[in-house]
Amino acid sequence: MPMDKSSPGFLNTIAGDALPTCSAACPVHTDTREYVQRVSMGDYEGALDILLEVNPFPSVCGRICHHPCESHCRRAAIDEAVSLRMIKRFIVENTRQYRIARRKKAVQVSKDKSAAVIGGGPSGLTAAMDLALRGYKVKVYEKDSKLGGMLAHAIPRYRLPPEALAEDIEDILATGIEVHSGCTVGQDISFEQLKKDNDAVLIAVGLAESHSLPIPGTSGKGVFLGVTFLWDVANGLCPELGKRTLVIGGGNVAIDIARAAKRLGPEKVYMACLESRDEMPAWKWEIDEAEEEGIEILNSWGPKEILEKDGAVTGVRFRRCSSVFDAQHRFSPTYDDSETNTVAVDSVILGIGQKANLDFLAGSAVSVNGGRLICDRESMGTSEPGIFACGEVMTGPGSAIQAVSTGHDAAKVVSHYLETGKLLKLPNKKVLDIGELPAVTAANARHFDRVCVELSDPAERIKDFSPIEPVYTEEEALSESRRCLSCATGAHLQFPNHCAGCLTCVRICPFGVAQVRRTAFMPPQQCQTCGLCAAECPAFAIDTLRFPTSAMKTAVEDSVSALDPGRIARPFLISYCCVNGTTSRKYLGEQSAEEIMESGILRVLVPCVGRLSMADLISPFELGADKVAVVSCPEDGCYYPRVESWLDRRIKRTQKYLDQIGVGGENLQLFNMEGSGDESWPRIWEKFRAVNLETAVGNL
Amino acid sequence: MIVADPKPFLQVKGYLEDFQKILVVGCGTCTTVCLSGGEAEVQILASGLRIAFGKDGRKKTILEECIQRQCDLEFVEPVLSRVESENIDAVVSLACGVGVNFLADRLGKTPIFPGLDTTFYGANVEQGLWAEMCAGCGSCIIAHTGGICPVARCSKHLLNGPCGGSEKGRCEVDPANIECVWQLIYDRLKRLGRLEDLRHLLPAKDWSTASDGGVRRSTREQLYDI
Ligand SMILES: Cc1cc2nc3c(=O)[nH]c(=O)nc-3n(C[C@H](O)[C@H](O)[C@H](O)COP(=O)(O)OP(=O)(O)OC[C@H]3O[C@@H](n4cnc5c(N)ncnc54)[C@H](O)[C@@H]3O)c2cc1C
Ligand code: SF4
Ligand code: SF4
Ligand code: SF4
Ligand code: SF4
Repeated sequence: MPMDKSSPGFLNTIAGDALPTCSAACPVHTDTREYVQRVSMGDYEGALDILLEVNPFPSVCGRICHHPCESHCRRAAIDEAVSLRMIKRFIVENTRQYRIARRKKAVQVSKDKSAAVIGGGPSGLTAAMDLALRGYKVKVYEKDSKLGGMLAHAIPRYRLPPEALAEDIEDILATGIEVHSGCTVGQDISFEQLKKDNDAVLIAVGLAESHSLPIPGTSGKGVFLGVTFLWDVANGLCPELGKRTLVIGGGNVAIDIARAAKRLGPEKVYMACLESRDEMPAWKWEIDEAEEEGIEILNSWGPKEILEKDGAVTGVRFRRCSSVFDAQHRFSPTYDDSETNTVAVDSVILGIGQKANLDFLAGSAVSVNGGRLICDRESMGTSEPGIFACGEVMTGPGSAIQAVSTGHDAAKVVSHYLETGKLLKLPNKKVLDIGELPAVTAANARHFDRVCVELSDPAERIKDFSPIEPVYTEEEALSESRRCLSCATGAHLQFPNHCAGCLTCVRICPFGVAQVRRTAFMPPQQCQTCGLCAAECPAFAIDTLRFPTSAMKTAVEDSVSALDPGRIARPFLISYCCVNGTTSRKYLGEQSAEEIMESGILRVLVPCVGRLSMADLISPFELGADKVAVVSCPEDGCYYPRVESWLDRRIKRTQKYLDQIGVGGENLQLFNMEGSGDESWPRIWEKFRAVNLETAVGNL
Repeated sequence: MIVADPKPFLQVKGYLEDFQKILVVGCGTCTTVCLSGGEAEVQILASGLRIAFGKDGRKKTILEECIQRQCDLEFVEPVLSRVESENIDAVVSLACGVGVNFLADRLGKTPIFPGLDTTFYGANVEQGLWAEMCAGCGSCIIAHTGGICPVARCSKHLLNGPCGGSEKGRCEVDPANIECVWQLIYDRLKRLGRLEDLRHLLPAKDWSTASDGGVRRSTREQLYDI
């Protein structure tokens, strides 16, 4: 009997408007905690629902998101952040049928206004989808034959296979947006025409072109522009590289270029950048993976000249870059010309940054300054009324999920404009978060290793563009999901009038969280949701938001009320099991009444059995159980410190009481599982049911 | 506060054999704090009664309630009306004896039974452990004994101790669990630099302020005509 599947909107009640740090850091504020909790209860479909609420690109993000959520996960204060991107990937890859089934039919156009979106990247598609969902007619113009922008034609397949992108795009297209692909605005259709045909135009053209370098030799044979190079690679047009290739640039794009180049067969691939190792803008994990693949990184070198012979590249001459940033941390490189270095290569790829191609705006009233689109960040409006911008063309280089976020915003401002003819100033997006996990709390918490997957062997993976990262197995995903602290969903004083200030909660809390000032108080930022206080409070004044302790009894009652007592296989066992022990959905799913009656076993899954109060331990007998099993984690495996000993005392007291009331204390037993619950629970149940004890309350 | 312990289950069950509709009432003050009569214990007792009577093949209605205090009229009144309106046959109180009495005085024809054994006025000296500290004698003498009460904490209530049964600071009555209060008093007065006080023997105590003087009352002139 899984419980607590609903999203109870906890935060309004216990942490004000503050979000957990993971959700606050996510540009679209994915309800991270909720989807992770749903995974932990085996509800992968429900988890997908949460993802899709705010992010039309979960499959993409499961592969390539730079995961600011993870970087802000509070668990890092204890050991390591929860591996959120990997959990997300697990969800999308295990709910494909469901995702197709939940897909709604195309939305009917219900408004008489239309919008054109230029660019079918993540920002443009998100905006188009939102506008379509609001009932507008939306047309997307994409110059490429494929949708997805950089996701489709820049990010190499070993990180983002086209099938993953396709899953997201199919969903988006199902909303009924009209797509004109292979249609370059400015060539195949004019910007003026779009303006004439539509009530609003959204420019979402991204940064489609690479910057070149103002040094000699960049036009020689063997010099490639990064984005063009990646486009060719993505489209299966293998650019011909020489034996030795050098990529200029130190960001993530340059890394992608170098790693893609490596897969095309050159013997040697270098990366050279102005930045020192620590200053490199690329993510550390990307740099590590590149080096594993044999890419050599030359730090703190500025290219001076690309050397050519007979029109073909022969090498690059560098000078030492002594500093990249000025005191205000602005990009302002300085060089030491006395130190130079020449690297002999026959191909050079420029990965030093991208810019927008705004040629299609020539002659229009939309202002462009120095190649940049002029756009007000608050209203997303350009200098011409009715023309808006979103995505990287507005923000500059960023991430896919940030582009999605601006797409959502753009739909808001565009629909406001379509309805009122006015600009909407978006409120300052500063979100409140619940703050870091206090060090005292973290110090009391148990450590659990992050579940890591092994990437394919570097020697093998550079041979082609096959994806290099395996998806979590179900067991891994479940195990990792349980590392989430489910921040700020813990204990709170549900009935302040009942609290007698007895201090039991203060004394029993293993994390030093609960306090009493006249009545009890559990700071939501600190509580770890073990539920011990709720179980021991003599006034039953405490409840937990995640998996409400108060709901336990009713939940069991509901399950039992659907049974025909005469048909239940005896002895009837009600088994409380710690959900953290499951390695698959086998026992996480709903049990049918028939199944319960036939097997004589009702499972009640709780995240830590330490939260079961004595009343919870007795009530199953009142409901007709003959035996009650409490199955906890393997010895010393509990997520919370000291729970085992408190639970043990509680069970012993209850056993004595059961003796007095004539049930027989031996009909309540505490078991530690061995290995996983999936294997050991059935053994425990079978053994316990087979012990020939007089049935407890058979005639109730 | 007042400390009370749960009565053996069968004793409570025994009181209730003849009644059909029973209300278990907890107390949200002292007996909640000493973990014997709050909401949680009400549920545990009620559940136990239902199961035990059920096993005997006698289905009874066991109702539950927990109020803030059983020693104040306004808190108690809703219970009284409930007993009346729901035709409750008997009440079990999980308050200290005060609550049971207070309810009994007001319950008309409905019987009430104690679910607890009320033990003493004590303090929570350790998690899960309470110890007696005062006996409510009505004329407090502990100004002379360093704030430590020999009436309550000396097994023999000696006003001038210790007796010969004091050994290594423990009381001969139960050395494992009882400290000799006169040792405690001695140690405390020594720390206070007032050992000399022990030379002034305490005179025989007037016990009329204690229960020996008859049933006691306490009044507040600002609220009550004396
Ligand atoms: C190599 C590389 C690797 C990246 N890796 C990651 C990563 O790992 N994680 C991450 O989160 N982000 C990554 N990003 C960033 C991410 O891809 C971008 O932030 C995102 O794609 C920007 O979305 P967008 O909609 O603003 O623009 P784009 O994705 O650039 O989409 C713009 C679209 O507009 C089209 N277009 C342009 N001009 C016209 C025109 N005149 N007419 C019609 N159509 C036009 C283009 O063809 C393109 O499809 C990476 C980017 C690159 C280049
Ligand atoms: S522990 Fe869970 S809820 Fe807390 S920040 Fe990390 S992912 Fe979010
Ligand atoms: S355990 Fe319950 S009654 Fe005691 S202080 Fe905590 S909340 Fe209040
Ligand atoms: S005992 Fe557990 S649930 Fe209660 S306040 Fe402490 S950490 Fe939170
Ligand atoms: S002397 Fe009497 S009133 Fe004072 S503490 Fe002892 S028993 Fe209580």
